Amino acid sequence: MRRGLVTAGVSISLFQRAAAAFAASVPSDPADDGLFGPRSVTWRVAADLSAPVAGLRSLLLQALHPLAMAGVDQHSDWRADPGARFASTAAYVVTTTYGDTATARAAAARVRRIHGTVRGTDTVTSQPYDANDPALLLWVHAGLVDSGLAACRLYGARLSAAEEDRYVAEMTAVAELIGVPAGMAPASVAELDAYFTGVRPSLASSASTADTVTYLLEMPDVEPELAEVWQVLAAASAASLPDWARELHGFSGLVPPQREPVRQVLGVLDAVYLGEPGVLEARQRLTLRMRASEAQSSEAQSSEAQSSEAQ
Amino acid sequence: MSEPRLRVSRGLAAMRLAARGGARYAVNAPRLFAAAGEHRQRLRDDLALRTAQDVADTLGTMKGVLMKIGQLASYVDEGLAPPARRMLATLQDSVPPMSPELAAGVIRAELGGDPDQVFETWDPLPIAAASIGQVHRAITRDGLAVAVKVQYPGIAETIAADLGNVALIRSLLKVAVPAQDVNGLIGELRDRITEELDYVREAESQRLFAGYFDGHPFITVPKIVDELSTARVITSELATGVRYAEMLGWSQEEKDLTAETIYRFTFRSLYELLAFNGDPHPGNYLFEPGGRVTFLDFGLVKHFTDAELGPLIDMVQTLCIDQDEDGFRRAMEDAGFLQRGAPLATPDIVEHMSVFYDPVRSAGVQTMTGEQASAIARRYVDFKSPLAAYARIPRAYVIIQRINLGLFAILGEMHATADWRSISEEIWPFVLASPSTPMGEAEAGWRAAATR
Repeated sequence: MRRGLVTAGVSISLFQRAAAAFAASVPSDPADDGLFGPRSVTWRVAADLSAPVAGLRSLLLQALHPLAMAGVDQHSDWRADPGARFASTAAYVVTTTYGDTATARAAAARVRRIHGTVRGTDTVTSQPYDANDPALLLWVHAGLVDSGLAACRLYGARLSAAEEDRYVAEMTAVAELIGVPAGMAPASVAELDAYFTGVRPSLASSASTADTVTYLLEMPDVEPELAEVWQVLAAASAASLPDWARELHGFSGLVPPQREPVRQVLGVLDAVYLGEPGVLEARQRLTLRMRASEAQSSEAQSSEAQSSEAQ
Repeated sequence: MSEPRLRVSRGLAAMRLAARGGARYAVNAPRLFAAAGEHRQRLRDDLALRTAQDVADTLGTMKGVLMKIGQLASYVDEGLAPPARRMLATLQDSVPPMSPELAAGVIRAELGGDPDQVFETWDPLPIAAASIGQVHRAITRDGLAVAVKVQYPGIAETIAADLGNVALIRSLLKVAVPAQDVNGLIGELRDRITEELDYVREAESQRLFAGYFDGHPFITVPKIVDELSTARVITSELATGVRYAEMLGWSQEEKDLTAETIYRFTFRSLYELLAFNGDPHPGNYLFEPGGRVTFLDFGLVKHFTDAELGPLIDMVQTLCIDQDEDGFRRAMEDAGFLQRGAPLATPDIVEHMSVFYDPVRSAGVQTMTGEQASAIARRYVDFKSPLAAYARIPRAYVIIQRINLGLFAILGEMHATADWRSISEEIWPFVLASPSTPMGEAEAGWRAAATR
């Protein structure tokens, strides 16, 4: 039982630590717009109400690669302190999304250094693994991107087909940052789908996958007040997985929860999240940056229009 | 592998956290409409709600409903209230105002023209946050200075949809007010919020109060300008006066006069209009010296039937006039506050309840204090008392609990001193005593003129 490995003190802080990581990772005075910038689709997807579903779905999906799972299983002490693990993952995603280029690079370099020690042999498939292996990095990347799209489609802002393609293309920047060779990460929804079709034969659910998934879905480490929220989140995340992934996990016969009730629960979660120290201010920083860039672009357009009139 | 247990629960239990979160949100947000520095003013403008989508993102997906649940929780349960009360006081203020363009769009949709066409003069900067809207100053084409309350576009539909998720609301309430009859609360909450979304209804309530208090020497209720009021816009006479915080700095004599006015307003409304403005919130009052108070915001008015009010009147009469303990207990049972046949001694019930009536049980000057208000609140939520197992708040009386928990808190903060019993006797329909204060004398003239 994983429950027994988790100390009681952790439970209070899981949600709060993720919020603190968010607040701390949204820069106050960035040197530049970073990998994406305020007009990117990536910023919108990351800030969407459906983001918690995307996050949990990513983890459920990523756990289906035996070598990725083995790396986590054999090298990470996340079960001793899941709050810290969630917070550092959240901090990485937020930093590479909203941070300036130098900060994003530094964060990726740090992760690559840690990955450097994550290598070994998977006991299930007897294959060797290396966390800096581009194939594994790509797997984790694709899980995140696919989950951002799926969560938005079902429970969030509905992006146009062009915006979805733009999101996948924009996100190749963060894949390259962590070490996926240029040109290797999918740059459109069609390429992303093709990637998953290709990788499917190497996926499986092992005992440690099942163990991890059970932990993620039952989540004994959130505040009691949030336990029911997590259940809705878990149901939405599991149901939003592709058919083949649900089959591998053994989630047959899942009926996806309806959009509005899930959004309402996500709204309550969001209100709670906003109440954590610094979260509102961090969101305001992002809103101000997005609005400033809109103002700049409309000014640029009107001065272009004026100069073309002058000609 | 072990089959992961997936329960698609439609409930959740985040209210306690939400209340905490709400308070935090409010405290950190730039305080809108306050005398903020230039930087904050700019920040506020930069964050303004510019589209109906912004409104939905800010107040939709249960957030507006959460604020209202917090408000209701503060009515019925002071035990959880410190965060919920802070949320009530400031969460509304933490929502950015509408941009001038968005507000103008609502005026166009509701009144058929740009604000500058519909009004002689229109101030594009709001002067106050209102429930689910904001207030602008304007001058009508007839030259009347008015306050125009403009509802956020789309908010009514958004909140109505969220109110449809009864299971979720029930779960939130269960955490917010665990000791209460949640099923009764849900109905009351949904009805009151639905009413609040409809400015036509609010304008009707305000007309009722304005009509009744018309000509009153101390009480002002701004008159509605009918032709400039719709389901999403309320235009009323512009009121003047200072805010609560400034009034607290006045002399005790002035504060006592002010308190007497608030007291008279509350109980005259209740006993003669059968209506209670459920939001005795300091932000809804404007003060002028000499005890003159303007009452704003009639979005949350509870109207009573004679049958609903009767048992409450009987409780006062049996306890304070007749000193009939058995009669008091019967009245409590008739009202539904107390289970019939509860295995409790009547004197114990009276002892427990009497704290709520202390200010009016005997004649003589009394000073309301914060300690007294807290004692009332503590007694109110004393779920460990033997009474608790047999007591409940019937749906009709949910909102009026605000007298115990809100009005007395305000009067306590003002250290208001008066002979509350004698003032009450002027108002109690079973006594109707002669004026007991100069204010009562002045009121008598108003009452005589009104009935003529």
